[in-house]
Amino acid sequence: MPDLPDLNPVVHGKMRLALLSLLVGVDEAEFTWLRSKTGSTDGNLGAQLLKLEEAGYVAAEKRFVLRKPQTVYRITEQGRQALMEYVQALKQLLGSAIEA
Amino acid sequence: MPHQMDEQELKSQLNLIESMIAEGRRTTEHWSWAFVLWGVAYMVAIAWSMWGHATTLAWPATMIAAALLTWLLASRDHEKRAETTLGRAVGSIWLAMGISMFVVFPVLGFTGHMTDTRIFVAVASAFLGMANAAIGMLLRWGAQFGCAVGWWAATVLSCFVSENQSMIVLLVAILLCNIVFGIYGMTREARGRRARGAAHA
Repeated sequence: MPDLPDLNPVVHGKMRLALLSLLVGVDEAEFTWLRSKTGSTDGNLGAQLLKLEEAGYVAAEKRFVLRKPQTVYRITEQGRQALMEYVQALKQLLGSAIEA
Repeated sequence: MPHQMDEQELKSQLNLIESMIAEGRRTTEHWSWAFVLWGVAYMVAIAWSMWGHATTLAWPATMIAAALLTWLLASRDHEKRAETTLGRAVGSIWLAMGISMFVVFPVLGFTGHMTDTRIFVAVASAFLGMANAAIGMLLRWGAQFGCAVGWWAATVLSCFVSENQSMIVLLVAILLCNIVFGIYGMTREARGRRARGAAHA
């Protein structure tokens, strides 16, 4: 039986996985957009984004638009790679689950 | 423990990734209001240039006001903002077309070559046809490509009619390719939002 891959714990959390998947499809996204797409609270969303930021998977940028503060997030190359590896690992695990 | 995840859980993680990527890419759909806004702006400019005072200011002033209004409304819509490559491509085409118009028409006016309304209608319609065709092909949206055909038809027609008739051609093209198309787009977007709301419920 082949070795089964470990799933990256940072990517594995549902909210963080949703955030990385959202960000992989766009160039950049605002905090409010991510909140509306995930239906999360400000506190939870901020905490999950911070974890992704600390892991180097997303980059945040603060700016002002029409004098209002705005935080914009984008996925990093490292984050993109982590998500790709996570999907590969999931597929491998799914294959072995079907075979079992 | 990941190894103890069952098939259902694995599939649900994959489904989550798939649905979120699709959700992220659905961000260029809410711009139909801009077609209506610009359609109305063209109509205002035509009315001002025909019946208003300081008629030389009619087009530049109305177009600058419409551009500012578009920027303001788009900036205020920051509740649901994300930038995609496709969205930036669409925006770039409109911006490039707008800059081209802001270069060509004032220069033609200042040098005294804008003596025939038909030239204005033909060139403006050709620019709008090009932008709509490029975006229609980019988005694979037949209705927008149909608008491009409408604008090109206006370009051709304006060369075969009188100056006054060419303004009617322009008005019909604006009505169909901007206002009616914009309202159709807004209805489509609202329907899409309702369908997604129902799917999420």
